[in-house]
Amino acid sequence: MAVLEEPIKGIKEVKNYINGEWVDSKGKIVDVVNPATGKVMGKCPISTKEEINAAVEAAKEAFPDWRRTTPLARSRCLFRLKELLEENFEEVSRIQTMEHGKCIDESRGETRRGIENVEVACGIPTLMQGYYSEDIASGIDEWVIPTPLGVFGIIGPYNFPFMIPLWSAPYAVATGNCIVIKPSSEVPFSQMRLTELAEEAGFPPGVWNVVNGGRTVVDGMLEHKDIVGITFVGSTPTGKDVIYKKCGETGKRVIAQCGAKNFMVIMPDCNVKATVPALMTSFFGNTGQRCLAGANLLIVGEDDKFYNSFMEEVTNMSSKIKIGYGLDESIQMGPVRDKEKRDNIMGYIEIGIKEGAKLRLDGRKPKVEGGLPDTCFVGPTIFENVTANMKIGSEEIFGPVMSVFRTKTLNEAVQICNASPFGNGHAIFTQNGRSARDFQYNVVSGNVGINIGIVAPVAFFPFSGMKDSFFGVLHTQGQEAVRFFTESKVIIQRWF
Amino acid sequence: MGISTCSEAISLSRELENNSAKVYQELSNRYEQEKELFLAFAKENEKYVKQIERTYYGVITDAIEGCFAFNLNPEDFQIKGTLPKDDSYSNAVKEALAMEEKIIDFYHVAAEQSRHLMADVPRSFMLVAKKRSERLTKLKSLLEK
Repeated sequence: MAVLEEPIKGIKEVKNYINGEWVDSKGKIVDVVNPATGKVMGKCPISTKEEINAAVEAAKEAFPDWRRTTPLARSRCLFRLKELLEENFEEVSRIQTMEHGKCIDESRGETRRGIENVEVACGIPTLMQGYYSEDIASGIDEWVIPTPLGVFGIIGPYNFPFMIPLWSAPYAVATGNCIVIKPSSEVPFSQMRLTELAEEAGFPPGVWNVVNGGRTVVDGMLEHKDIVGITFVGSTPTGKDVIYKKCGETGKRVIAQCGAKNFMVIMPDCNVKATVPALMTSFFGNTGQRCLAGANLLIVGEDDKFYNSFMEEVTNMSSKIKIGYGLDESIQMGPVRDKEKRDNIMGYIEIGIKEGAKLRLDGRKPKVEGGLPDTCFVGPTIFENVTANMKIGSEEIFGPVMSVFRTKTLNEAVQICNASPFGNGHAIFTQNGRSARDFQYNVVSGNVGINIGIVAPVAFFPFSGMKDSFFGVLHTQGQEAVRFFTESKVIIQRWF
Repeated sequence: MGISTCSEAISLSRELENNSAKVYQELSNRYEQEKELFLAFAKENEKYVKQIERTYYGVITDAIEGCFAFNLNPEDFQIKGTLPKDDSYSNAVKEALAMEEKIIDFYHVAAEQSRHLMADVPRSFMLVAKKRSERLTKLKSLLEK
């Protein structure tokens, strides 16, 4: 089958985009390596504090005029961006595969989900309308105006380099705010392309800024008095102890979407034929690097026959997953982002063995198609006999590792789910409505799946999360994002 | 090797459409009496490619089983994209009929396999299969002339 052409040739240099200009950074430059081929595909700056300050300053200056721009005119910029993204859909998708390693179907799926957020934000003229009550007292009227706040910082992770900043950015600018995005320095290219398209779409200088880098940029955002709010997607330790804490100290509003350890609960009455492929995507899609990935497979019931045949199906399909470069259309699983992440996953596999779990499928020496270096590849791995007190059953591995639990009852399964410190995307697979209802009612999870392996809300629903998976109040996407990026100004009026 | 991913399935459908379009181009060059009909078929194929691609790009999402949607054997649906040099008119039309049946079979199988995943894609496959079934009637009528 076809191996698709790489859209980035040679070494591509990433620049910052500040006040409508592409500018070189004075910071250190780091290589960006394609994790599948092992080749350097570009260079990314680790920008300085002065550079983040310059971007915030530009955004602050642009804010008054942008706020005064009509919602319809702002949405027209987004309509143009949507059209440009459609025109460049394939290029943007292939860039993601090159920088991140995910398969081309996954990259296209990521592009589509990103665009959907732009589409929803195009409706801002109605989405941000206020409301009005006449005669709240004699001759007095009262109404609410959702007003933009100023400059927001958007901190993106490496696992969905293109889509995740779009959970916030379109809503932020649509409501009249200005933004500074910090993409992950490991995967900066799809954001750079997005920014080029945003520039072409006609956002005025200073409205949409991008500063590449690492901790210095994040700290610069957190400490800056003119940044009124931050959206962040990343690990729980950083989200909780750095982002959420610092935003609290500096009075910024915050959305911090963090780690997870999602349970996929299997009832004996599930539709096995449909469930197993859904589990493949859940556990091994994006090579397990997503906060909505299945991590623990929890099989309910004491029927050994069902358990054995179900696990046979799961193991069989997992062992046949084709691994390689995601631009090869036949590949079902790409590499993890870098060697450090691979080593971390390998470490967890070693821990699982030491903890006494049964290694049913070993992904440590995967068969990789196309003679690629095996630096970043890990195959699907399955552990059985896992318990909640084991590290592999409780900590986020962020790789293609399935830990299999057994419980006698659904009630017990829900208790195990709820004992986890995380609550991001648990799911149940069943054909029984009562079981599904009991599960969705009792499980503590921001997103709940019923026969869905990846519980990813579409753009017009909030991307939720509970417990250690989320810090904040409002969420990204849809109406909640509109509320996050606006403050309710209440007017009470009386004329004498 | 079997086809598992959506991307491969869409590429196979594109390949089938393009190859069958070549066959109709050749038929139109060889047989003046039905030139317009064969050219129309070739042109329709382009439309089908766009229709299926637009559907796929419109609904693909990372949250469904995009990499695990299919279990197709491409060998079952191979078509050549050329006609034997010295074929008679009736043999050439029979070749086209056999080709159409194979492509219709592909769309039926692909639609069935992707039924649970993305409603728009199997629907699009079935629409193209239905349109092609109408071609079968037209091609058969040519043999009766």
